[in-house]
Amino acid sequence: MSILRKLGKIDYRWLYITSLILTAIPLFVPIGLSVTLSEPVKDYYAAIQALPEDSVIAVSFGGSAALLDEQEAQFLATWKTIFSLGHKVIFYSTTEDGPMILRDHLGKKVIPEDYGYTYGVDYVELGFSPLGEPGQASFAANIRGVYQADSRGTPLDDLPMMIGFNNFENIDLLIYEYTSCTDIEWAIRQWTVPYQTKVIATTLGCCGPMAAPYYPSQIAGFLSGSGAGTELEVLSGNPGPGAAMSDSKSIGILPQLIFIAFGNIAYFANKFSKEDEQ
Amino acid sequence: MVGTMELLGMALGTFLIFSTLSMLWKDNPFFRVGQMAVMGSSIAHFILLNMQTVRDNAWTPLLNGDILMVIPLVLGLLMYARLKKSIAWLSRYPSSVLIGIGTGVMIAGTVSGQVLDQIAITITDVFNGGGINAMIIAIGVVTSITFFVFTKEHTGVVGKSASIGRKFLMISLGANWSGEIVWYLTQLVGRLMYIKNFLTALMGG
Repeated sequence: MSILRKLGKIDYRWLYITSLILTAIPLFVPIGLSVTLSEPVKDYYAAIQALPEDSVIAVSFGGSAALLDEQEAQFLATWKTIFSLGHKVIFYSTTEDGPMILRDHLGKKVIPEDYGYTYGVDYVELGFSPLGEPGQASFAANIRGVYQADSRGTPLDDLPMMIGFNNFENIDLLIYEYTSCTDIEWAIRQWTVPYQTKVIATTLGCCGPMAAPYYPSQIAGFLSGSGAGTELEVLSGNPGPGAAMSDSKSIGILPQLIFIAFGNIAYFANKFSKEDEQ
Repeated sequence: MVGTMELLGMALGTFLIFSTLSMLWKDNPFFRVGQMAVMGSSIAHFILLNMQTVRDNAWTPLLNGDILMVIPLVLGLLMYARLKKSIAWLSRYPSSVLIGIGTGVMIAGTVSGQVLDQIAITITDVFNGGGINAMIIAIGVVTSITFFVFTKEHTGVVGKSASIGRKFLMISLGANWSGEIVWYLTQLVGRLMYIKNFLTALMGG
């Protein structure tokens, strides 16, 4: 068997093993590779920075426990940025996992009270509601139509921040955090089009190409994958899990690139050699 | 310093990670255990949270006198009619309501936000200093749409356009696929970090 044919038939488990080893090494011996900032991330950060003092931000939280590694850096860097600027925040969950992740992260990894926040006055957590797109529409038009109480069971009218607060008119920026790629369309259809609410979004790396057509005309900026989370950490000066992951991803991807190159070289070499034989 | 219970939780998590990753070698009982544990706990969590939602949003308001809440409750129960073949047709009512509301809610935003606005932006960007990027996007949009025109044979100009569109589609799929690969890698890095944290905690770090 020729070398080229052998290249095309390497046991795929070698790919897994080499990827695993190369991914693990930087976790123990950080390399410190540089991070390049992309335009959607810069604009995402600029949209938050441009808000006037005491603005109100709604965070539509669609995080998933199974996909958290991809988005944790985005979430933490975003929340730290918001809290450091002192804006008021409403968190509401669109996924079943959402409240669990929020409870864990807002209580342990980013603590609003450390930034001088008071629950009910500066931020609220409304909990999960099986929203879907009609739910987003309902939330934008009438928050109390979806939530009568917050996640702790306190009626909304008993929360100082929520008094006289009931729809899109009170919201200066929507941060749309989602995992299902086509969900970005909900924000476009239910927030951008009817109310011209400023929207920025965070999503998985594989969903970025589906968010890109709406940027910058309909969404002001977006974070796609943990790489963008790392960029936001660098941009906002809030290091977190993204920085720790960055080197591992950059090195761990190398075997896959090499295998793709080998596979293609072997494929075309075999194809041309067969044509020559004929 | 990590507490004993937390350490046990991390040990269980590490065991489940190794069990799941063992599938990369071949199917085995450890993988099955990990798979079932993740699925079982996820389903239990989802069921409990949705039951809580029904209680808070419909059942409690009904008990407090909001008689209209009978409607969503009955519609919800009708969904379970599909479990018995003879009355399965009843589940079509809640399905129809869901589809009707979903379509009604999305249609206006779709036409305006995803069709008209997108067409307008694609065209105006070319003439408003969008440069080479705007031009590439415009060509990509037109040729890719041509690829999906099946009412005219793909020959001549249409054929050439469809051929270029196919290449744009391939590039687009490639970009999506690269995102997928990096996503999988991120999941792996995240789990390796979890194991590292467990080992650090185990050694009293």
